Amino acid sequence: MNLIRFAMRNASGNSARSWIVFFCAALMAGFVIASTLVIRGANDSLRLALDRLGADIIVIPEGHEQRLKSALLMGIPVHCWMSDTIADDLAALPGVAAVSPQLYLSTLRGATCCSVPEMFLIAYEPETDFTLRPWLEENLEGGLALGEAVGGSLVYVPAEQGKLLVYGYGLDLKGSLEPTGTGLDQSMFFTFETAFEIARLSSEQAVKELDIPPRTISSALIKVDDDVDPHQVAAQISAEIQGVTPLETSTLFQGQREQLLSLLNSVVALLGITWVLTMALIAVVFSLAVNERRRHIGVMRALGARRTTVLQSLLLEAALLALAGGVVGIAVASLAVYLFRPLIMGLMNTPFLFPAPLPLASLGLGALVLALLGVTLAALIPALRISFQDPAISMRE
Amino acid sequence: MISIQNVSKTYVVSKELKVPAVHNVSLEVGQGEFVVITGRSGSGKTTLLNLVAGLTRPTSGKVLLDGIEVWSLPDKEQSLLRNQRIGFVFQFASLLPTLTSLENVMLPPMFGESQDKEYVKERAAHLLEQVGLSDKLESYPRQLSGGQQQRVVIARALMNEPELLLADEPTSDLDEVTEHEIMDLFRSIHAETGVTVLLVTHSAELGRYGTRSIQMAGGEIVPSATPPG
Repeated sequence: MNLIRFAMRNASGNSARSWIVFFCAALMAGFVIASTLVIRGANDSLRLALDRLGADIIVIPEGHEQRLKSALLMGIPVHCWMSDTIADDLAALPGVAAVSPQLYLSTLRGATCCSVPEMFLIAYEPETDFTLRPWLEENLEGGLALGEAVGGSLVYVPAEQGKLLVYGYGLDLKGSLEPTGTGLDQSMFFTFETAFEIARLSSEQAVKELDIPPRTISSALIKVDDDVDPHQVAAQISAEIQGVTPLETSTLFQGQREQLLSLLNSVVALLGITWVLTMALIAVVFSLAVNERRRHIGVMRALGARRTTVLQSLLLEAALLALAGGVVGIAVASLAVYLFRPLIMGLMNTPFLFPAPLPLASLGLGALVLALLGVTLAALIPALRISFQDPAISMRE
Repeated sequence: MISIQNVSKTYVVSKELKVPAVHNVSLEVGQGEFVVITGRSGSGKTTLLNLVAGLTRPTSGKVLLDGIEVWSLPDKEQSLLRNQRIGFVFQFASLLPTLTSLENVMLPPMFGESQDKEYVKERAAHLLEQVGLSDKLESYPRQLSGGQQQRVVIARALMNEPELLLADEPTSDLDEVTEHEIMDLFRSIHAETGVTVLLVTHSAELGRYGTRSIQMAGGEIVPSATPPG
């Protein structure tokens, strides 16, 4: 028999109260991990989406700002067109280091010629591209050829098909990009050449023709010179080029970030209230528990247990319940957040990236430590009081 | 062995309410004695026992165990002294309900200096066998009768081979037959081990089990108490 086993026996012997402390610990840890996962997941997602874009400014036809954000964040396709000469106009502006045009397309919903549901398709120009190039250079030598594509992390080829059908055209999926938690995970990337080939053949192979208006692009991605403020270039674009909107990527998801900050404030307040109430409940329950066992604690002292030994055994008991409750709370909350990702994304109107196992484990460990500290702290006052009470008083009726 | 010198104890319930429990008591108990202290409820017997064990601090006076003033020791040494030199048998059900008989008996070594686990287990089992409970090692207190529980408590009190055995009304909740069985057990333990026993009871009749009987009333030792024939 050692102190840990002794504490475990005491915890299991007082089942109703132990369950309350267990559930409080589960609530404390679960709340911490769930809110951390959601807020951190949303923040990571926005950050990764911006990294994926790799541009300082996105220029799109006027009036499509909100739909572009929806496309990038939630994968809802956007269709917009502007003259391809705008790319040249943009390239001529001072401070612009690179311009790369893109075409925004989508598959057909519920059509037999498309093997995926309505999906956001992005065609890029290999000669000017600077967003996908780093990934392509690292993962695919020579980039994408005609008929090849890379997909977001959620895009896959059904095993029985071998190729992804888009407007009746079979695309080879050459790789998957890292997850971002945004709509980009459900999007597919291929070259202009592939896009035009799909469009050319769609009149024969698809139930509906893919229409790409001639000499148009959907957007132009801009990288500015290192020493230039993107805001100044954006202002210049607004002033000099009619019918387009320059979106600075640093402020692209500003609304979502403000929403996240507001959510974070609310969560912190709610977390504080929950923790204070839960700790108060644990303190009351633990007070009742030690009061009920005060005679036996007096007996322990009479048998030679030091004050610190009694204190240790009581705090160990609280800590064991905190650990057990914390682990369960973290597991349940993490699973719930994982399973209800779409609902959370819908409610928050923001993308959300569930962390990889290792970061998840470290977050879980952090939440467990917090729950452990919270419960032990709540149990400390009643434990101290009884430990330092005169044993003869403890043993009296 | 025990020297109680002009000890008084007053419990302070509130600023206005102070309850004197023991008043100016002096008593000497020699090594190997079996002293029975009798008296009615509220006579101060239990408080006197607690004072001897260092479980409560005297309001005035001194309690010495082999010349050591218990309350002059820091908590660590005081606890070790209780653990190594004193065995306790309480009036109330003092077994921890979440532990088996064997585990209850093994408690004192857990609180003291580290001992060989196997030895501790063997000794606990041996003691339970000595008190007639060899078939109840894995029983929980709720599965034992009152008499059996007190036997386990006696075994636990003897676990660390104490020099002093303190028993507070050990038979108060037992029937007459069991009461005498338990008192016989105390007598045989005293005879076999030579342990000093200080036992308090409300039953004057049980005074005959000791080598000396003392009567208490109103927190004081009654001078007319006579040694048993």
